[in-house]
Amino acid sequence: MVRKNKKLKTNLIKALSHTDAQTVSFAIWAVALPFVAFAVNLLLLFRSRIAALVSTAAILASLILAVKVFFAVWNAPVIHAQTVWFTVGTAKVPLGILLNNLSALMLLLVPVIALPVHIYSIAYMKDDNGYSRYFRYLSLFCFSMLGLVVVDNLVLLYAFWELVGFSSYLLIGFWFTRQSAVLANKKAFIMNRIGDIGLLTAIVILFTQYGTFDISALFGADGLVPLSTMAAGMWAGPHSAMPEVWQYVAFGGIFLAVAAKSAQFPLHTWLPDAMEGPTSVSALIHAATMVAAGVFLLGRVYPLFNATELTILAVVGCFTAFMAATIALTQNDLKRILAYSTISQLGFMVLAMGVGAYASSLFHLVTHAFFKCLLFLVAGIVIHQMKHIKEDNNLDIDPQNILHMGGLRKKLPLTFIITLIGALALIGLPLTSGYLSKDGILIQAFVWAESKGAVFSIIPYVALLTSWLTAFYVARLVVKVFFGDFRLQKVNPHIHIHIGDGNWLYKAPLLLLAACSLFPLFSKSPVFYEDAWIYKSFLPSNFLARENIYHTIVPVLVNILAVVVIYAAFAIYGRRNSWSFPQRGLLYRLSYNEWYIDRFYNPVVVKAVLLFSRLLYAFDRKVVDGLVDSLAGAGIALSKITDWFDRYIVDGFLHLVTSVVQTIGNFARRFQSGKVQYYLYSMLLVVAVVFIFKLIWT
Amino acid sequence: MITLNDFLMVSVVLFCIGLYIILAKRNAIQVLIGIELMLNAAILNLVAFGRFDRANNAGQVFALFAIVLAAATTAVALAIVLNVYRRYKTIDPDQINQLKD
Repeated sequence: MVRKNKKLKTNLIKALSHTDAQTVSFAIWAVALPFVAFAVNLLLLFRSRIAALVSTAAILASLILAVKVFFAVWNAPVIHAQTVWFTVGTAKVPLGILLNNLSALMLLLVPVIALPVHIYSIAYMKDDNGYSRYFRYLSLFCFSMLGLVVVDNLVLLYAFWELVGFSSYLLIGFWFTRQSAVLANKKAFIMNRIGDIGLLTAIVILFTQYGTFDISALFGADGLVPLSTMAAGMWAGPHSAMPEVWQYVAFGGIFLAVAAKSAQFPLHTWLPDAMEGPTSVSALIHAATMVAAGVFLLGRVYPLFNATELTILAVVGCFTAFMAATIALTQNDLKRILAYSTISQLGFMVLAMGVGAYASSLFHLVTHAFFKCLLFLVAGIVIHQMKHIKEDNNLDIDPQNILHMGGLRKKLPLTFIITLIGALALIGLPLTSGYLSKDGILIQAFVWAESKGAVFSIIPYVALLTSWLTAFYVARLVVKVFFGDFRLQKVNPHIHIHIGDGNWLYKAPLLLLAACSLFPLFSKSPVFYEDAWIYKSFLPSNFLARENIYHTIVPVLVNILAVVVIYAAFAIYGRRNSWSFPQRGLLYRLSYNEWYIDRFYNPVVVKAVLLFSRLLYAFDRKVVDGLVDSLAGAGIALSKITDWFDRYIVDGFLHLVTSVVQTIGNFARRFQSGKVQYYLYSMLLVVAVVFIFKLIWT
Repeated sequence: MITLNDFLMVSVVLFCIGLYIILAKRNAIQVLIGIELMLNAAILNLVAFGRFDRANNAGQVFALFAIVLAAATTAVALAIVLNVYRRYKTIDPDQINQLKD
């Protein structure tokens, strides 16, 4: 792979200037280094603990290279290096990398998130039997994700897309001896397969229409897709045309891919189950990077969508965000709450793509990656400590259940403060990064709804409601875990508790991510999202200045009410510990059972698929096998007839001939009996016959 | 009056009896007796036809020769039978079938 990379590199960079060539080779090495770490860990350090250092060093080097690439590419002309990979007929499949703002940002984001997670994992996984295997998989994942963001053609994109799904599958099922982990990774894999089929369909349709896989030729500024029109039932590109319906099929494929990877309704149910993996994996893959791949894909193919399709995206994103937020209200599993909040935030990103807030969507992707990763790492620490308590005291409890926790702020002071930063960013209060990105989405949703008409204004209002729900469930989570009394100790007063924040391997990543969750990294101004540099770089021009009334009303409304909601949650769960919501109502049950979506999928979809498979199996057994069997039976019957013919006709004739010969022989043999008298008798007979004949004739 | 035909009839009867004995008897001695009977039938013919000879008594003389030869033949044949008995411990012609090879 490395050698291949080198060879390709020399091909790739021929046509570029010196500095561009250097940037491209930096990018290639940034992608390849985690793979090198994977290969070294697989081949040389199969059971060694050094694997962790190799993987971490590789991701650190990737980070440094990515930073260089980022500063060379950001807001600079696009660098596109390409060579022909292979040729099928007349179609050339290219191999190359495309470095624009989007890929440079993602190329930087992935190692920035991955490095703290690697460092954290060194401490978090140190007692695990699969220590080396864990880092092997983690490096494979980093390689796939980095490759996914820089490749310049849809074939390679698809390959890395699959690799990302596969490494996610490996890491969800990391503790493969647990039945639940095996079920969860199977579920994730199958649901991702549905999305993969969609992506493949879309790629094939695009190739049929435009005859190229090249992303920049397709979706670039003056690419083939933006030049296409849809009129009179035909979808016409510059050189080709096909019926309009195929464009919608391609959109449907992309949508399926996005829904599967970024956990949008109706393919979101794998993500909460994916929490069976190690918590650090959940932080990196199922919160920050891999699930953002769907949104990244939307960003890559954005010019493909027309107004109707964007509206569909907005509606689905909005619905997903709302549904996931309502589910997160009542869950008791720490990681499950965070998983549903991830789904909800991804819904916001898809909603933003749908309402045309392209820049805000990607901005939210970046900020969300930091604070959600942070929250998962914190959850990992809390779960780890709860597990210690469980093992020290031989308790039979679920260490992830927030009902057992409480008052942990005294035991884990640093963790508590950092959680608070992450939580505030997730809620989107000012001074945090989440505020900048999320309010941008909400404001643009309102502006969009105003231009579309009254019916569509439901979408920004639902989004607004969702952000208050977010405030509530986040406050509930923080209060249940860190405030009040330690409920486990209340029930079992004699347990020993020796827990703490952990060493610097835990602290350093948390501090780094917490710093990245605050506003200064992204914007000079803590309140105006328009000042954020990521946001500004993705805007086509300086549109949407602060001209609209929503720019003032929405943030104020969101934040004032969010503070009220947080206070309410604090009051409900923190002070009056005895009181809680009635746990019998229809809405409660709807939320607690996750909208009964899995309960619907299992009997209806899964059973239907199984039934269909059984039907196919029966068809195979009865019809296909039956046909083969009857052919075989006919063959047997024919050969039996042949056998009979051979035995009785052919052999019978031969037997007849031989028996005739035998009869004649036996008859003649009697004359040669060796008995004198018989010879005499024969002679007499012959003489007598001769005489008799003589008498007759004369 | 005894005619030539009567002689020939006797001769035929003798010949046939001899032939029957040769074919039917299970004893080599008896077969020899059958042979003698057939010879005697032939000799009888010689004597009977001798009446019509141009030369006198040529038939009778020839008959005498034949009788002597028959005696010699019988002697030889009995010697053979004796040897056959020694070898096979039987003189039943049916049992002695080595000729078939």
